[in-house]
Amino acid sequence: MSPIIQSLLLVTAQVIVLLTVSPFLVGLIRKVKARFQCRQGASVFQPYADIAKLFRKQPVISTTTSWIFPATPYILFASTLSAGLLVPTFISQTPLNFSGNIIALVYLLALGTFFLILAGLDAGSAFGGMGSSREAIVASLTEPAMILSIFAIALTAGSTNLSTIVHKTALLEGIATDPSPHLMALAALFIVALAETGRVPVDNPATHLELTMIHEAMVLEYSGRYLALIEWAAGLKLAVFLSLIANVFAPWGIATTLAPTAMGIGLLVYAVKIAGLAVLIGVLECMFAKLRLFRVTDLLGVAFILALLGLLFFYILRS
Amino acid sequence: MLNVLWVLLIGYAAGMVLPLYPRQLNTQSLTASICAIVATCAGIALGLLGLIAPEPVTLSIASTVPLLTFAIRLDPLAALFVFTISLVGLAAAIYAVGYVRHFQGRVSVAALGALFNGFLLSMTLVVLADNGLFFLMVWELMSLASYFLVVTEHEKADVRPAGFFYLVMTHVGTAFVVLTYLILFQSAGSFSFDAFRHPEQALPEGMRTLVFLAALIGFGTKAGIVPLHVWLPYAHPAAPSHVSALMSGVMIKTAIYALIRVYFDFLGGQFPWWWGFVVLLAGTLSAILGVMYALMEHDLKRLLAFHSVENIGIILLGIGAGMIFHTYGLNEFAALGLLAGLYHTINHAMFKALLFLGAGSLLYATHTRNMEEYGGLLRRMPWTGLFFLIGAVSISALPPTNGFVSEWLVFQTLFLSFQLPALFLKLMLPIAAALLALTGVLALACFAKAFGISFLALPRSAHARHAEEVPVAMRIGMGILALLCVGLGLAPMIVVPLLDRITAPLTGVSITDKVLALDGWAVAPGDVQFSSISPPMLAAMLILGGLLGLLLAFLFGGRLMTRSYKTWGCGINLSPRMEYTATGFVQPIKRVFSTIYQPTIKLETEFLQKSRYFAKQRKFEFHIEPVFEKYLYDPVIHIFMRIADRLRILQAGSLHLYLAYIFVTLVILLLFAV
Amino acid sequence: MQISPHTGSQLVDLCSALLLLTCFAIVAQRRLSACVDLFALQSAFLVLTAAVVAFLTGNHHIYIAAALTGVIKVVIIPRVLKKVIERLNVKRELVMNVNVPAGLLICGALVMLAFFITQPIIPLGFLLTRDSLAIALAIVLIGFFTMIARQKAVTQLVGFLVMENGLFLGATAATYGMPLIVELGVFFDVLIAALIAGIYTNRLQDAFDNVDTNHLTVLKE
Repeated sequence: MSPIIQSLLLVTAQVIVLLTVSPFLVGLIRKVKARFQCRQGASVFQPYADIAKLFRKQPVISTTTSWIFPATPYILFASTLSAGLLVPTFISQTPLNFSGNIIALVYLLALGTFFLILAGLDAGSAFGGMGSSREAIVASLTEPAMILSIFAIALTAGSTNLSTIVHKTALLEGIATDPSPHLMALAALFIVALAETGRVPVDNPATHLELTMIHEAMVLEYSGRYLALIEWAAGLKLAVFLSLIANVFAPWGIATTLAPTAMGIGLLVYAVKIAGLAVLIGVLECMFAKLRLFRVTDLLGVAFILALLGLLFFYILRS
Repeated sequence: MLNVLWVLLIGYAAGMVLPLYPRQLNTQSLTASICAIVATCAGIALGLLGLIAPEPVTLSIASTVPLLTFAIRLDPLAALFVFTISLVGLAAAIYAVGYVRHFQGRVSVAALGALFNGFLLSMTLVVLADNGLFFLMVWELMSLASYFLVVTEHEKADVRPAGFFYLVMTHVGTAFVVLTYLILFQSAGSFSFDAFRHPEQALPEGMRTLVFLAALIGFGTKAGIVPLHVWLPYAHPAAPSHVSALMSGVMIKTAIYALIRVYFDFLGGQFPWWWGFVVLLAGTLSAILGVMYALMEHDLKRLLAFHSVENIGIILLGIGAGMIFHTYGLNEFAALGLLAGLYHTINHAMFKALLFLGAGSLLYATHTRNMEEYGGLLRRMPWTGLFFLIGAVSISALPPTNGFVSEWLVFQTLFLSFQLPALFLKLMLPIAAALLALTGVLALACFAKAFGISFLALPRSAHARHAEEVPVAMRIGMGILALLCVGLGLAPMIVVPLLDRITAPLTGVSITDKVLALDGWAVAPGDVQFSSISPPMLAAMLILGGLLGLLLAFLFGGRLMTRSYKTWGCGINLSPRMEYTATGFVQPIKRVFSTIYQPTIKLETEFLQKSRYFAKQRKFEFHIEPVFEKYLYDPVIHIFMRIADRLRILQAGSLHLYLAYIFVTLVILLLFAV
Repeated sequence: MQISPHTGSQLVDLCSALLLLTCFAIVAQRRLSACVDLFALQSAFLVLTAAVVAFLTGNHHIYIAAALTGVIKVVIIPRVLKKVIERLNVKRELVMNVNVPAGLLICGALVMLAFFITQPIIPLGFLLTRDSLAIALAIVLIGFFTMIARQKAVTQLVGFLVMENGLFLGATAATYGMPLIVELGVFFDVLIAALIAGIYTNRLQDAFDNVDTNHLTVLKE
């Protein structure tokens, strides 16, 4: 098999894995929350049905909007999926490793956020503007912590390319080499992931109350296939962050070669790892209440300081 | 190559004279633009030739004034800036054909066109000059030409103080520039740049430090680094928009040119680590404060002016990191830092000029700079909107545009700090990177605001409701820059080798092979395994991802017609007053960073007499504290005013007394001469 | 059982890093009872650290100190404080002298300061780990800062106790524990201090209907 065809196949596999797994994660979190609230809850496969149904519905578009509004779902979907292709999922060496490192991933996600903010403003309703405005502040506070925590991780592996980080740590002892800096970077990145994917305690994906919603307010005017793509992209973003955390901090079991058995095991282990993280998020969402918008600074301040400490510890331990 | 240079000089010279003759206003502006277009095309060619030429080209015309020669030297560093100036100049000249109509009958179009050419000529000569005195002459010419352009609309009350402020600030800066050159002259014994490079006796350490600081303050004033940036938000908005594009896009870059020239060329790149750290600090401060103040602006052109401060900061982050690496002998990383800074310099020139031209188009169509009166313009001005969006995406450093590539390179340079030996710097550079990330995302928020409030949703005023698309010439001017924004982002494999020709002589190492990987398809400083991006690949991924989205929508949903309906406004018809305003959009940011803004908010409510629950009218005031002006500039101005008050005694208004002053001075001078 | 010195020192590092993390959590936390819980957690980590140090060095008297810490700081003092909070009916700190994000940044700077100050000591080589002493100093500084930044008497008390934890960590990590008799004395001091502060807080409540220490300024008249 020529290398190009092999790469193409791997990329296709990655796309399929990400697209299939993301609604499942959303469903799983909802299920966990329901069980914790003593409810039966919908099936974990409900989000698939939701997306399929939304695709078949006729979309309504506001008369005040411009072309930004219908274009945004596609841009958001494309940028999130592209970001997903840079993160290793079940094999440690993604073929598109060269096309972007972790900073490119951050900026690809920012591209989606930028257009989503614009779309929120486009319909002209006050809800959309409010969501956009809040998303802007949450994003601004998240990014510095994200860059620093990423750097703390990158230092240990000597690389900012995700595949390389994962591959190297998978072949070594993983995070056991430098536990304290890694622990802090992990904590920081986890908080960042919660904020970026719009989970409790930063945002509540289940709310449609105008005082509390952020992401939901921005996409309030969407319907039909546009909404389907946005929901799917939101799921994808969750999958991207969970894969990032799972594979960077616990790369055990990931396929480091292209042998079929290794890949099979990798796939299985990957599913278990991200499902575990999704359950964790569900549990956390039941334990904590959503923070007030202006208290989010406290939480993200903690994330920033943690990342900074991770960096400091790394240098002190290695000096 | 000299022929091209002559075409450039004659073109600009003609452009300074010819527009003054025709009677027809249209012909005047057309003549000025055609001359500028010819000259800038020559400039683009000259820049490209200079970048690939194996040896610097020199031209020298002796003068009768001692120490002054009209010497010109085109080395790769100068060539890059000639190229950038000419490119932005070309777009601005084409744009001017349409834009200047907006001024007809109010101001002298002929003078505007002539000054425009003179401004471009002086900027080109600043980067070409090879003699200290000649440099100072054209530097001063550049300042004066830009001053006269700033006060083009001098009949407006707010333009005159803006122009005066600019004039004062730029001359304070020039004083420090003169100081820099005088110190260099003292050791070199000549004003020729070659003598600066190889002085007769080496400068003592203290003098070198003085040169560093004087150059940083002098050129920093022109570049607008915090806290010397205060003139930018006044002068840039006051100027006509195509001139603002030149000022913000390229004029402030001549200062970056001069800083690199002085630090790396004249001083030979020999400096202690704290020089680089000071530059890095100035860069970080400029970047973060520039974007923070920009966020609070609702005057579109002032907002863009503050973003120039931010981007100068990003450029200085790259250069400062490069200087730090250079001190420690890590020359490859030093070259990378410089390269990142220079890459961002060109990129910023492109997108900032584009955005200023876009702001000019909005001004042309709506006659206001206040964003709160825009709205819904994307439907009325689709081309302007598209170009502005491309500019906004570029300045927010989003892939796959040019801003992303250069900002990414700055990030990589800062991340390579783990190779430095000093723990302090190892920690400070990543913190600078984190602040750069904050800057980047705040810029994103700011341009989401600028584009979203101006171009989307419902028109907020009658101006915006009656806006129409701008003339073709203006669209072409913007279109050229928009294409370049995308092109420079997708083609680092062309840009990097050219920039390497500049950084290689300055740092002593060529890094093209190290930075470009996979036949140029990926940018990978150091090593593909350490970090890499491939802008063409990212663009392809984005396009394919979008197509996949379309395909999925078609597969699952089939062909569905969309239905149009008005936005739900809680039961009432949606009106512009229900939309989020620019002020409202940034309110959370203002609140979170209130330590920096120090806002004063005043809300006065007058109630109806019948009931305490219904307000008759509400008055809301909000200011942010101009910290630097209040605590740094006002005291200085105050002192000067008091001295001036004292000195008024000398000014009696009597002609005889003035003659007496001159007489006394003459006698004293004669006594000294004995 | 034998543990290699490298793994051992990493274990101590990890434990002390956890202690530092809880410090930051206390700085970021506004709810009083959560602050007390976090203090209890921090003390638990301290017990763990002390136990590991005791195991690694073979100094058995550290076990006793660890056990005492467990009893006093993980169980008794948090309980007393919880009682006080319950009686006072103060749930959270609304106004602070320094707001939380700024406080976090200051504490981050304090940690760096602590690291820079202790840098010259590391090469002397008598320390068990590279950074425990720095962390201990950082915890003391952060505790001190908490006392300045907060207004409620209970959180100020928590700040004081955090300082004490930092000192104990420094003593264990740097000198392998103080003589047992000194440690016992310190424990009783801390216990008494906590009790007195509890009573003082109650008195404050009775006098001003509030536990805001700002009200003490009234006493000068």
